[in-house]
Formats: sequence, C-alpha cells, structure tokens
Amino acid sequence: MTYERFQELAEAYGGEIGRWPAGDRDDAALFMAQEPELARLALEASTDLDILLDAWRAPPASAALQEAILAAAPAPRHRGLNPMAWLWRAGAGAGLAAACAAGLVLGVALSDATQVQPSDDALSAALASYDELSGLGVGEEA
Amino acid sequence: MEDPDEELLARIGQGDPAAVRALMGRKLPRVLALANRMLGDPAEAEDVAQETFLRAWKQAPQWKPGQARFDTWLHRVALNLCYDRLRKRREVSADGLPERPDEGPAPDRGLQAQDVGVRVAAAMRGLPDRQREAIVLCHYQELSNIEAAGLMGVSVDALESLLARGRRALRGALADMAGD
Repeated sequence: MTYERFQELAEAYGGEIGRWPAGDRDDAALFMAQEPELARLALEASTDLDILLDAWRAPPASAALQEAILAAAPAPRHRGLNPMAWLWRAGAGAGLAAACAAGLVLGVALSDATQVQPSDDALSAALASYDELSGLGVGEEA
Repeated sequence: MEDPDEELLARIGQGDPAAVRALMGRKLPRVLALANRMLGDPAEAEDVAQETFLRAWKQAPQWKPGQARFDTWLHRVALNLCYDRLRKRREVSADGLPERPDEGPAPDRGLQAQDVGVRVAAAMRGLPDRQREAIVLCHYQELSNIEAAGLMGVSVDALESLLARGRRALRGALADMAGD
C-alpha cells in the first residue's frame, strides 16, 4: 500500500483501521509496521476528528415512542391457534380418555367376575368423566 | 447471505410478542440514532423511527430470507423517510422562511463536555446532505463501505470521496476543538 492510499483511507474512514474496508486492512497493517511514523502522521488528524464525532450522542428512545411502536406491532396469535400446542393438548386429552375408558372396562369386568352389578350412579359418573376428559382434549381448541 | 435478524422475523411472523420486543430493542436505537443524525431534530427523528417500525411490522410476516439483510432494508426505509423530511424543509426554506438557527454554544461561554456534542451536531447539520449521509452510515451506523454505497446508490469510490470531503469540512468547522 502506498502512503497516498493510506492517507486517502484515513481521510475517508477515520483513524481506526478496524473500520476501514475489510479488503484494505491487512495491507494497512503492513504499512503501519513498515512505516510507523508516516502512518502515525496520517492517522493523527483523523483520530482527533473521530473522537469529536463520538462526542455527539443520540438521545435514547422515549417511553412514549416505545409504547407507540409496540402498540402498532402484530397482535400476538391466540394460543389455541398454535398447531404444536393443539397437537400436544389433543394427544394428552386422548391419552386421558383412553386411560379412563380402560379403567371403565376393567371395572365392568371385575364387577361381572364378582357378580356384583354396578350401580347406575357409578356408571353415569364414569361416562360423564370420559366425556369430560374427551372434551378437554379436543373441545377446548375447537 | 447470513442475516442475524431472520430468526426474530420468523417468530414475529408467527405472532410471538417476545420477538416483537426483541427486534424493537435491537433496532430502535440504531434507527433513532440514524434519524437524529440525519435530521438533527429529536421530535422528527422519533416520528421517522415510529413510521419505520410501522413498515417493519407490516413487512416482517412476509420477509423472504436470503434476498436482502433486514438491517439494510430498515436503513433504506428510515433514510427515505429522512429524505422526505429534508426535501420538505428545503421547500419551506425556498418559500422564504428562515433556516433553522445554529444551536452551537456561544464562543465566549467556554467549552463544556456536552458542548462538544452540540458543536459536532451543528457542524454535521452544515454539511451537504450526501456528505452527512455518508458519514452517518459509515462512522455512526458502522455499515461497511459496500453496504453504505449500496444504500446511497453510488460507487465505493464516490462514497470515499463524499466521506473525505465531509470529514475535511468537519475538521475545518471544528478546528478550534481538535486535540482538546
């Protein structure tokens, strides 16, 4: 890299070669190693300006601006519309319903074996429980 | 093309409110700083930032990965909005109203720490729009020369020329402060 090119880059991009174009940084570092005094002269004025420029701080965003931006953002989707949540709940509901049904069948079989008739109340309660569990699994999302 | 914002955009498209907040937290300071430095007016800068995000929210659900970086697109939108306002100012000024007064500190007041920023802001306002834009994009927004040149629609050589002329003018305007 020539001194002229090193100067041009310093005048355009400032005194920190880390902010220069990526393709020029290695050559610039080599120039700095070979010609440290010339490099220092070229960078000095640009570095002084960089320091001044950095003193100009932009004000932070006000709370009102942040609220206005959030208010205009896309509305959150209803949790019931999330397909993964729907599948999980449907699966859990079906599992509970299956467990309930298996319990019901086992209960009836045991009742037959012991010759004791189930009461209408107990059967109704079991069926109601099944319907309710099935409803929890799928009906909630419908 | 790798885009660090892609994942957030996809989540916003799925209606994830945490992603909305995360994107705002990541981008609002950059957009607001860009508008502040282009316009030099905090109230106008907030208007531009709000409008920029309004457009971002509309765009996010249909953002197509791989075509452009979201940050570059966001800068383009904010810059266009800034230019709309700068154009209107010029029209008003051409109609005979006075230019905005220089808000730099008076010379006999002594230089306070925050005055340096005020002086720099005033000097930046005094630059031609294209030189100011080049310095804002490269120095303050830390965009690469290729990104900045692409946003401005100029070659990298032309960008370098704008940067060098702008920085030379700033050095002249701030010569009394250099090396303090």
